[in-house]
Amino acid sequence: MSAPFYKPRFLKVFTGLVYLYLFIPIAIVVVFSFNSQKSLQVMEGLSFRWYTEFFNDPTLMDSLLTSVQIALLTMVISTIVGTALAIGLVRAHSGTAKGFNILMLVPLITPEIVAGISALLIFSQLGIALSIWTIVIAHITFSISYVTIVVRGRLASIGVEVEEAAQDLGASKWQSVRLVLVPALWPAIVAAGLLVFALSFDDFVLSFFTTGEDAQPLPVRIWSMIRFGVSPTINAVGTLMMVVSISAVALAVLIPRLFGRRESGVKVLTGAEE
Amino acid sequence: MTHKRFWEWFIFPGGIWIALLFAIPLFLVLALSFGHVDDFGRGVYGFSLDNYKDVFDATYVPVLLRSVGYALATVVLCLLIGYPVAYFIARYGGRYRYALLAALVIPFFVNYLVRTYAWVALLADQGLVNNLLVDWGLTESPIQMINTPYAVIGGLVYGYIIFMILPLYGSIERMDPSVIEAGKDLYGSPLQTFIHVTLPATQAGILAGCVLVFLPAVGDFVSAQLLGGPDTYMVGNLIQDQFFAASNWPFGSALTVVMMIFLAVWMVFYLRRASKGEAEVL
Repeated sequence: MSAPFYKPRFLKVFTGLVYLYLFIPIAIVVVFSFNSQKSLQVMEGLSFRWYTEFFNDPTLMDSLLTSVQIALLTMVISTIVGTALAIGLVRAHSGTAKGFNILMLVPLITPEIVAGISALLIFSQLGIALSIWTIVIAHITFSISYVTIVVRGRLASIGVEVEEAAQDLGASKWQSVRLVLVPALWPAIVAAGLLVFALSFDDFVLSFFTTGEDAQPLPVRIWSMIRFGVSPTINAVGTLMMVVSISAVALAVLIPRLFGRRESGVKVLTGAEE
Repeated sequence: MTHKRFWEWFIFPGGIWIALLFAIPLFLVLALSFGHVDDFGRGVYGFSLDNYKDVFDATYVPVLLRSVGYALATVVLCLLIGYPVAYFIARYGGRYRYALLAALVIPFFVNYLVRTYAWVALLADQGLVNNLLVDWGLTESPIQMINTPYAVIGGLVYGYIIFMILPLYGSIERMDPSVIEAGKDLYGSPLQTFIHVTLPATQAGILAGCVLVFLPAVGDFVSAQLLGGPDTYMVGNLIQDQFFAASNWPFGSALTVVMMIFLAVWMVFYLRRASKGEAEVL
């Protein structure tokens, strides 16, 4: 077969259709969030009516603030703990490391509803009232694994030679981690943090099981809105949430690029190991 | 401090966190599943198998089977849709490869509820799709699309297809293209080359993708709740119900344990491969 005929036209068209399938529902949410009327079928005219409604709704604004707080706390704590875990797992060649290497993967492949119920049970067993903190703790549990995988991917490409060189020059082990290893991992750490922010901000199932009466995060609020009938405000909330999490993800992709590694941004997203 | 011990200190905060707040609570679920509800409606631990008898009651078995069926259908559809896409990006994406991948990931950072809700707006009896069909004269009256198994499975495919495409992409990209050329030289037909060379070479990605879609799909309750009705409820909806509306935590725990037993084989299989570095880890 000669080269020009080898180009698979079918694959190209098929892929194009799949992208359409992926993006049409999202485009509809965005477009109808600017509809001046309540209709979800016909665009009557452009307006910011539903955004105004959202920003004037004290409970929704409260939820937005709660979601941001949860995502920030989750990001900071899980990034620190997850990075340490990644370093330990890669550098300590021991049975403990092997065991935790497997344990760390379990939260990622367990259905979220199971994680939600487990969290709910341990909190009620310990007599901890559900609040913003119980949500944060539940979010951190899966986020640690996520950070660990992203950071570990980068760590695998950094040899031990640099740290050894630092130690030859008189640095203690701890100093070689702090002054050599962590700066080298920094792009991956920041990217992992931003991804975890987006995941926590968007999470519904875990939040649903661990939320208290007040301070419900946005996705939990959206859930009750959808169940009590369709409201165009959901389009506006959805669009705004989209802007927040996609900005975080875009930064996560861009930051490793700024540090001069072209592909690692996408590798962060796709979880590919190097 | 020994070398090993120094590095192990880094493991402990995260390792202990996951053990205490993830592994141990899973055993609490198991323990509570043998319990019962007291007079105040609270779950109490016990040693009875009553909840399991209830799970395998004629009311709930169909729901369990349905969940597995829907999840399997989701896996098959994700594979059929995802493989060509992953193949195209990996082999013909060229310089747009990373842009195409990034574009693929974007929808999955849109809130799952909002995405599913968009499908409700599209597929409802008075929704966009039905309006178009009627306007174009393709049908007299609206076709019922929502509250059907198809809508629920469609929602699951839309929700989880990325977990199929990414590992597939990884394994196709790593495959040496020259083996396809060699296959062509030996077998001739593109189909045979695909079946005998490409598929086996990308087996790791296929298996990882199937597991990573199946596991969350079985436990999902959002798709069935928003796009389906009581006839299409999945085990996730039952479990969710027991912890909220019905407030029977021990029975909800038993349902969860039974679901996890269904899933355990897949999970262990995945973890074994992942620990050997064989599976694509997402």
